[in-house]
Amino acid sequence: MELTFWQKVGYFYENIIFVYGLALLGLYALLAILSFIGIRRFQKRNTYTDYTKILQSPLAPGISIIAPAFNEGVTIIQNVRSLLTLNYPRYEVIIINDGSTDDTLEKLITEFELTEVAFAYNPRIQTQPVKRIFKSTNSAYDKLLVVDKVNGKCKADGANAGINASAFDYFLCTDVDCIIEKDTLLKMIKPFMDEQNSTIKTIGAPCEECGYQHTIENNQRVIATGATLRVANSCEIDEGVITRIRPPQKLIPRFQELEYIRSYVLGKMGWSMMNCVPNISGGLGLFDKDIAIKAGGYDHKSFAEDMDIITRMCTYMIDNGKKYAIRYIPTTQCWTEGPPNLKIFSRQRTRWGRGLAQIMKIHKKAILNPKYGRLGLVVFPYNLFFEFLAPIIEFTGILYYIYIIITGQINWHFALILLLFVYLYSVMISTFAILWDQLTYRYYNTWREVVGLSLMAFLEPFLYHPLIVFFALRGYVFFLFGTKQKWGNMQRQGFAKKEMIPQV
Amino acid sequence: MQKILYIEDELLMQNIVDKILSREGYEVDVANDGKMAMQKLIENNFDYSLVITDIMMPYANGFEIISKIRNYTSPKKIPIIVVSTIGNEDAILEAFKLGADDFLKKPIMAGELLIRVKRLAGQ
Amino acid sequence: MDFSYFTDASIAQLLEEFYYSPLIIQIAIFFIFFSVLCILVTYTSILTKRYKGYRLEKKLERINPIIDDLILKNIIFNDELNKDAEEGEPANLIPLHDFQKIPFKSAFGKQALINRIISFRKSFKGTIAFYLRQLYIDLELDKQSFNKMKSVKWDKKVVALVELTAMDMSIADVNILPLTNSKNSELRAEARHAYIKLSKNEPFKFFDVVTEPLLMWDQIQLFKIITTTEDIAIPNFARWVTYSTNKSIVSFCLKLIVYYNQVDGIPAVIKLLDTKDHGLRANAINCLGKLKVDEVEDKLLEIYGNQTQNCQIEILKAIGRIRSGKSIDFLKYEFLHSSDFDLRKNAARSIISGGIKAQETIQLLLDTATKENLLILKHCMNPLIKF
Repeated sequence: MELTFWQKVGYFYENIIFVYGLALLGLYALLAILSFIGIRRFQKRNTYTDYTKILQSPLAPGISIIAPAFNEGVTIIQNVRSLLTLNYPRYEVIIINDGSTDDTLEKLITEFELTEVAFAYNPRIQTQPVKRIFKSTNSAYDKLLVVDKVNGKCKADGANAGINASAFDYFLCTDVDCIIEKDTLLKMIKPFMDEQNSTIKTIGAPCEECGYQHTIENNQRVIATGATLRVANSCEIDEGVITRIRPPQKLIPRFQELEYIRSYVLGKMGWSMMNCVPNISGGLGLFDKDIAIKAGGYDHKSFAEDMDIITRMCTYMIDNGKKYAIRYIPTTQCWTEGPPNLKIFSRQRTRWGRGLAQIMKIHKKAILNPKYGRLGLVVFPYNLFFEFLAPIIEFTGILYYIYIIITGQINWHFALILLLFVYLYSVMISTFAILWDQLTYRYYNTWREVVGLSLMAFLEPFLYHPLIVFFALRGYVFFLFGTKQKWGNMQRQGFAKKEMIPQV
Repeated sequence: MQKILYIEDELLMQNIVDKILSREGYEVDVANDGKMAMQKLIENNFDYSLVITDIMMPYANGFEIISKIRNYTSPKKIPIIVVSTIGNEDAILEAFKLGADDFLKKPIMAGELLIRVKRLAGQ
Repeated sequence: MDFSYFTDASIAQLLEEFYYSPLIIQIAIFFIFFSVLCILVTYTSILTKRYKGYRLEKKLERINPIIDDLILKNIIFNDELNKDAEEGEPANLIPLHDFQKIPFKSAFGKQALINRIISFRKSFKGTIAFYLRQLYIDLELDKQSFNKMKSVKWDKKVVALVELTAMDMSIADVNILPLTNSKNSELRAEARHAYIKLSKNEPFKFFDVVTEPLLMWDQIQLFKIITTTEDIAIPNFARWVTYSTNKSIVSFCLKLIVYYNQVDGIPAVIKLLDTKDHGLRANAINCLGKLKVDEVEDKLLEIYGNQTQNCQIEILKAIGRIRSGKSIDFLKYEFLHSSDFDLRKNAARSIISGGIKAQETIQLLLDTATKENLLILKHCMNPLIKF
């Protein structure tokens, strides 16, 4: 039978979708297995790791916590207070007041007895001008440093100013409105200490020239670590300390909680096992400062500055012929306020969509470029095909379905079976994610809360997923037509609305 | 009877030290964190013969507690002992600078703590 | 829509239809069943896992206060124990019978007891810790730990080692030496820590033989063990600075030399200034500065010119630490003429740490400095800024 041109196109399209779908499902299965192994290993280690050893050690590396703040007057005091009570022997807290128009700075000054100091600020990364720098006259707050700068219209600019002012070799980038667990620094610095210079083998006798034994070193430098984030919307919070963990009551944040768990515990952990982490969340990430500065710091033009900096740090390492690793830990270390309603949610996701499109464009030279190793051959293709193109493919898929329904070509039997298959498979992956998460810690107080959250997996494909696809597409459209001015303003209001989350 | 405020977020330590001090005839008020500690201090109008505090705990760390107590002007100076897991030079100096009277690093010797308590709070 | 497929058809018909379906559909059907099964299993696992966790928590909540009370009663508040402490042989006096009763007969109870004793020893040392160890031995809890050592699972072995080190139990060299060469890096590291802490004869033996680098985490653990184990014989670490061919061992020993203020080791450290590895050189300079070795100051100035930036910074810091006042002109020159911000800042800091000896220079610099230099000086002089 001779096929018409359009039938051929349709046939071709179906095959592409089939391969694409199988690849995606296979990838999820792989991530699920790897993250399971990773979590098991982490848990095993956790049974005997004594983090207090870092607390007592004079060898503990110093960490600078960097938290940009824009009009956070309402919560700033308690959040800073909570940052000042983390468990770690050597750290500083740098709050960047990014030209707030409310009383953020005044509140900080009175509460923490701040005074302006002459500070040798070293602008290694260009930012908007820094106006003043404050320290506390009360040495109980001597970990605190407040930088007052001209508004840079984005989180990236504030974070860069914080990096410039920081004193230590590592920095933890977070948002002032995030709530961080007490042991976060201890747990997140550990991967940096676990991997430095693990040798593969030694070569022969000690070198005559320098006297030291030469080794082939797996000189893999850990350049960043991340941890799981969760939605704080329905948790009970008392002055910046979480006192009761609860899944969000409202539908939109509740879906986000499920999405976060899947994305971090199952997705990022899996990627971490392959050393292919695509992104460290802007809500919580610990970075090697040296590399971050050499890579140019955060890009203030980016809509997804967190993903951008990781990409640039990786390309920097590859361009200089160095091995690197980015690691995730599965435990939840940070709680963040998820967008509570559709309006803010749409704004956030549209921005992410736009940021992703932007990154694809900026770093297009790396895509499928063997020179960039796993970044070019795994991370980027994944981002391109399964993150960036997924909404487009899904959208065209729906159009195609409608087309074949209208033209009566559909085989209802098969179509329904296929749909049911994809649906159940995705529910299964989400359910796995919840179990993996429960393996790391018994989150939530009752089993009802856990099951209640797990059941969201059944609703998600109908209610939540279409929204994500729609907003992502909207972001791409905005990117294409560059509706910039409008976005510059909108973005300020949703300041720091967090990290890129792949839809895994 | 001498009244002691003991601030410690680790419950095992809190419970045991509380019992040890109580057995010696002190009246011990325990606080789990910085917030509770401040509440107790204010409730009792800073009327303690001695404060024993940890450094790392939720809401407000030990340094802040010391500074709050020292900023509070009362007829008598409340002695403060710091008992902490961190014992690096910075932390010790900072504690003394803020006005702590003594610094013990965990793990502690119960006997030593008692002697120091007796010296600062009286029998 | 035709749903008859699902309702009316007999099983045989269904199987036949399955057989004649395209491969995709067969796979899809297989995965539909597979997914449903997995979802059910996962839900059950979540619930059982939570229930088990809950049960364990409740059990511990019940048993731990019992343990605490028994330890209080029989050890901490046991006046007879404390009275006899000085006369030697107090070991048998701990009343054991309370600890041998019901909740502690099971393996679970014994493990809870071990964990609790270890927690106690994290908070208390001295007499209490001594008697807790005695209790651990008298109750033969060490047997439980040693049994774990025999497990084939590496993580069990690590747990056993951690328990035994926490309790200061000695382990026979024959048992532990093979583990120090284990293929599993975590087990290997933990075995070495245990060996250093528990070995009677030559605790630092493995410093001689180890070829792979010590990870930062290992260094932190080792540092803690070496500096807190009471009856460990501290060797002269300069030995490895001179003879070890392993860079990380050398750099770790430099830190220990500083900690123990081993001035005997200074010549060995000075020799290290000629090494080609700039990381090690920086560590050596740092060590000399912290030991305040003023005879090395001239040599540091001499080599300054052809050093990498990290070594230069260390030299500036070292001069600031030595505080001889001899090199103030050099520091001044660096502060005024270096193009590197960090070098200038460290030079300024070292000038200022010179105190009275540097008073004149500081004043002169303050009077004549450019705006940026003035800022650096003020930054370093401000006691509120530590770094």
